[in-house]
Amino acid sequence: MKLNNKILLCNLILSVGIFLLTAIGMYYLVNDTVYDELDNHLLQHKTDIVNQVTADPASLNQIQRLGGLGSYEWVEISRYEGLIEAKVNNFATLDTMRSASEMTPKAYRQLTTTLSANDTTYTLKIYEEVAAWQNISMTILISVLAGLLIWILLLYLVNQMVFSLLLMPFYDTVDTLETILDPTDFNERFPQSTTYEIDVLNRALNTMMNQIRSSFEDQKKFIQNASHELLTPLSIIRQKAEKILSKSDQLDRQTVETANDIQQTAVRLSRLSNALLLITRVENKQYELDEEVSITAVTQDVLNELRDFISLKNLSLETDFNKEISVKGNRELLHSAIYNILQNAVKFSPEKSVISIATHEDSGSFNLSVTDQGPGIPDELKESLFDRFKKGNGQINALGQNNGTGLGLSLVKSICKLHGFGYHAINTNGSGAEITLHF
Amino acid sequence: MRALIIEDEPLLNEELEEQLLEEKFNVDSAETFREAEKLISGDEYDLVLLDLGLPDGNGLDLLRMIKKYYEDTVVLILTARGEVEDKVKGLELGSDDYLAKPFAMTELRARIHAVLRRRFKINENEILAGKLHLNLNHLEVTYDGRSLELTETEYKILRYLVLNKNRTITRIALAEHIWGSKIDDRFSLDFINSHMKNLRKKLGEAGATDLIETVYGVGYKLEVHETQQ
Repeated sequence: MKLNNKILLCNLILSVGIFLLTAIGMYYLVNDTVYDELDNHLLQHKTDIVNQVTADPASLNQIQRLGGLGSYEWVEISRYEGLIEAKVNNFATLDTMRSASEMTPKAYRQLTTTLSANDTTYTLKIYEEVAAWQNISMTILISVLAGLLIWILLLYLVNQMVFSLLLMPFYDTVDTLETILDPTDFNERFPQSTTYEIDVLNRALNTMMNQIRSSFEDQKKFIQNASHELLTPLSIIRQKAEKILSKSDQLDRQTVETANDIQQTAVRLSRLSNALLLITRVENKQYELDEEVSITAVTQDVLNELRDFISLKNLSLETDFNKEISVKGNRELLHSAIYNILQNAVKFSPEKSVISIATHEDSGSFNLSVTDQGPGIPDELKESLFDRFKKGNGQINALGQNNGTGLGLSLVKSICKLHGFGYHAINTNGSGAEITLHF
Repeated sequence: MRALIIEDEPLLNEELEEQLLEEKFNVDSAETFREAEKLISGDEYDLVLLDLGLPDGNGLDLLRMIKKYYEDTVVLILTARGEVEDKVKGLELGSDDYLAKPFAMTELRARIHAVLRRRFKINENEILAGKLHLNLNHLEVTYDGRSLELTETEYKILRYLVLNKNRTITRIALAEHIWGSKIDDRFSLDFINSHMKNLRKKLGEAGATDLIETVYGVGYKLEVHETQQ
């Protein structure tokens, strides 16, 4: 859930809660006030009547006959028949009654007191209808609450606008973060903001992005320079060793073998260096990707280059190039990628086995898959097959030697990433591995 | 023939000079762009070995200069920059071949041989090594008048050995020559053995039993004695 929605929802729930509490509170408060007012009114009447009767006992009958005091009030006077001796004039009880008679269909408030006139004690009851008061007060209550409710709704709508406006820079940052695929590709800066927290966030992100970028670039530059600078000294080592070897007939066997090892290691190191250089250049995007490349033609070229090995290992090729695939990219790099995949397939294939190469279309994407009958991908490598310098621990290939520099498939990965192609490797059911490229 | 070596690494420069002297070249060498510039403007060379990464300038500018004044000079680019654009650019500017460091001296010799032949339009397409005749344009090889049926790879191996006769060829240099430097050597070296076995068998059938000598643990050598010529 988005932050602004959360805040809005919290706000709304709180407002409605407070509204309900207020409503209940106000209901009781209003009722209380109405009753207080009524009681005051009744007591006032009582005092008036007592005063009037005390001043002129004859008016008692008149009041009795008249019965009412106003449209919502009336008076009942009867002879007191209570057993307890009345404390004349000094007390009153107040009660709320409902529908005492047909005359009073609604709730009313009743004041009961005793009254003595002409040495007789009377019971005086004064009634006042509640409804009239209550109607007015309820109307006021409801309109106040309705006003509050409208206020809450308006506040919700206004808040929605205000929050989205206030949080806009925050959401801009979040959106930008969501679109970053590769920190090295990200060249925008997070903007300054007038909101303190967002400003801190953006500045921190900018600093971190810069650090990631520059350390990544330093690393790439280092690899590129190191590889490049290594090649000339390696060249010298190689040629010096070669010079020793050219006079092998004058040397003892151990010296010759040592010189040979030096030479081979120099060559191997230079290949490693070249492979690193190539990967770095691919990752630095130093290649144009605007050639129209036929994947089938490139694959055919690679197969020609590897023909010697295929025939010497007595491998059979099953090629299915029914689907012509043509992509935009760099021919040299795609050649390299396919070369590495096919070289691996040839390398790991046992003698007289079959390598299948097929192009096919699968739900809109074009695929090239290479399947061999070799030992397949070892379990511990499945996750990291395309990573740099990963190779099976003690994995021995058919030739009894450890395999390669461990950079071949990582080069494939870099090239595919540069072109935006997919790649994956699985073990086939029988034995062997299948590597597929998705164009 | 006159050769100029432009290479900023003194040890490598020395090594190249030694090799070219063995090939009977008159050799000048330069370690900087300025030195090279001076030498080029003074003399015409038949062969220039040019390193592109010089400390004080771009080798490609030297290439431009050489090709401007002396169209016939053969230029072989040596570079530690394994970059395709450089290679393409160099060839566009008129270089005759391109070797990425580190290369085998035997490879350099074979390349020099090939480019000089091409440049000076040497009509004699055959090279001789004793009784062995090797046609450089076709897959034609004869020994003592008998022709041999060789595969392309076998032909390449034999040609490389002939061009570097009386020298030890390491297996790694041979593998590189045939399959390029992309192939994994731990994997390709064994294939050299198979090819060599087949080649020897074919040579043996033609009567050249011991033409190719195995240098144990290192590689091969095609021994041609002066007396045989």
